Amino acid sequence: MADERSKVADKPDVLEKPGFLQPPAPAPIVTFPIDEEVVVRDSRQQTPAVGQRASRADGRLHGLGQTKYIDDMYLPNMLFAKIKRAGVASALIKSVDTKEAEAMPGVVAVITGRDIPCNSFGPSLKDQPVLCDARVFHSGDGVAAVAAETEQIAAEALEKIKVEYEVLKPVLDPLESLKLETPGVHAPSANIYGHKIIKKGDVEKAFKEADHVFEGTFRTQMVEHVPLEPYACIAQWDANGRVTIYSTLGRITLGRADVGRTLGIPMSRVRIIATVVGGNFGGKNEIRAEPVMALLSKKTGRPVKIVYTRTEEFTSSTTRHPLIMDYKTAITKQGKILGRKIRLVLDGGAYCSWSETTLGKACILSAGPYNIENLEAEAFVVYTNKTMTGAMRGFGAPQVCFAYESHMDDMAHALGIDPLEIRLINAFDEGSLSPTSQKLHSVVVKESLLRAAKRFGWNGLDGENGTGAKA
Amino acid sequence: MVSVTLKVNGETRSATVPGETTLLRLLRDKFDLTGAKLGCDVGDCGACTVIVDGKPVNSCLMLVGQVDGREVQTIEGLANADHMHPLQKLFEHFGSLQCGFCGPGVIMSAKALLDENSNPSTEEIRDALGGNLCRCTGYTKMIEAIKGAGCIMRGEEVPAVKSA
Repeated sequence: MADERSKVADKPDVLEKPGFLQPPAPAPIVTFPIDEEVVVRDSRQQTPAVGQRASRADGRLHGLGQTKYIDDMYLPNMLFAKIKRAGVASALIKSVDTKEAEAMPGVVAVITGRDIPCNSFGPSLKDQPVLCDARVFHSGDGVAAVAAETEQIAAEALEKIKVEYEVLKPVLDPLESLKLETPGVHAPSANIYGHKIIKKGDVEKAFKEADHVFEGTFRTQMVEHVPLEPYACIAQWDANGRVTIYSTLGRITLGRADVGRTLGIPMSRVRIIATVVGGNFGGKNEIRAEPVMALLSKKTGRPVKIVYTRTEEFTSSTTRHPLIMDYKTAITKQGKILGRKIRLVLDGGAYCSWSETTLGKACILSAGPYNIENLEAEAFVVYTNKTMTGAMRGFGAPQVCFAYESHMDDMAHALGIDPLEIRLINAFDEGSLSPTSQKLHSVVVKESLLRAAKRFGWNGLDGENGTGAKA
Repeated sequence: MVSVTLKVNGETRSATVPGETTLLRLLRDKFDLTGAKLGCDVGDCGACTVIVDGKPVNSCLMLVGQVDGREVQTIEGLANADHMHPLQKLFEHFGSLQCGFCGPGVIMSAKALLDENSNPSTEEIRDALGGNLCRCTGYTKMIEAIKGAGCIMRGEEVPAVKSA
């Protein structure tokens, strides 16, 4: 076995080799022979890359502690910013008094929502203010921002900003929000801001013909991405009227558009430098405080940095949509699904963000990887006065997976069928059609299930690894 | 303001800072040692871990007054221009870090462990990393790397990674 051991211990460091900083030699030009048949790999065939060991290009600097994230950067004469959070879920802003904060030694500039040239942005619906001006939509909303010589002074200045609110009754329950008589979170706009229906076959007929009809409601909670690096950004407005922003944005082109829009300047004057990202998971897909830092820099003529606190990361960044999922399934006593009706209600929180993508994906995937002839899936996304939801790994797929798989287990249990068996009866095959009639290729659901079952020794519910929950 | 003198990575450093300054802020803002990270500022995530007198600590919870006259080791003190620490070598080799933000803290916790016990069990490694959170890669590859680094420190060969 000695030859299988890696020789890491003996491998010399690249750092020890002379000339390690030289760029690698250019790759030789590859020409494809015209008369030979081009090899197109079958989709099931794995490419030679699979199974190979590869090192991350930046792995070494990470381990040396030399990777520079935004908070590790310092620009000469830089100021530090903090944002005043509303602390109320729904309110009208009567007045914002910043005089006392501005008078503090060390405070260089204060701005409020009224200072934002165009106070709305968003990846699809432009429903999110940069800083609230007239109305607060959730308690993590920003209402004012301070740039000061030190972070401590900025934090202290926030306490001196006086905001007068007329507190409104917040809408917190997505099912309440769904009702027409509920006051609009973004009145006069309706609370339902996204809707999707998928229909296939005749669901009602399936419910009449089935041996059994099972119903279940499933709920998931709000989830924060919690990247280890809190949100951070540096902005510097230069004498030519251009702004340079160091940002952890995953989508810098979208960011440029949003920054240009909110600042009222052409995109060509916005330069965004995407830095090393300390964890994203979908939570860094749109701008947050970039326009605020840009305006504070414009006002002070100095670069301005902000780093969110861990609390702000929870209250003032996007989260995963909580879902309320109603399932109703028509099934034969042998376990074959005849029809399924689904209603999804997505709690979108205060702003749209990436809700439309999440709504679509959740709805399309809500039936699960199963052949269901008769299907009706309807999904809504509604506003509530809570932390905004947005993109997070899977865009709605994990939530519906929890629901349809739990529903499958419940039905298997009630019918006395092995949970593996009920999935094998219904699962997709090669060439199956998805609920939206997409023909599916490389389908290995059944093979995967069987292989997994074999590997952990599944012998049915009463077997060694079963739950023993069979009635 | 308080004046402190401490040894950082073998070098004697002094600073005069406000009394509420944490060791983390001192290292990052005064000494330009940005390897230790601020992740939560309340001692939960371990991204700020450094070694003080041989023990791993959350530097965001330690005030400068508490480190006067003591010896602090940071991630920057582990490697020089010629050699990396076995932990750094193996964290790279095993792909133990993705975004890397937790890395310096994890490696410092692991170093404190290996300095005391170069042949730790998986349980002991898990225990030593109990105060360090990672959101990307998870801990399996870190544990492999720490075991491997222990092998190097004991003068043994590093076992190959088991394929899944």
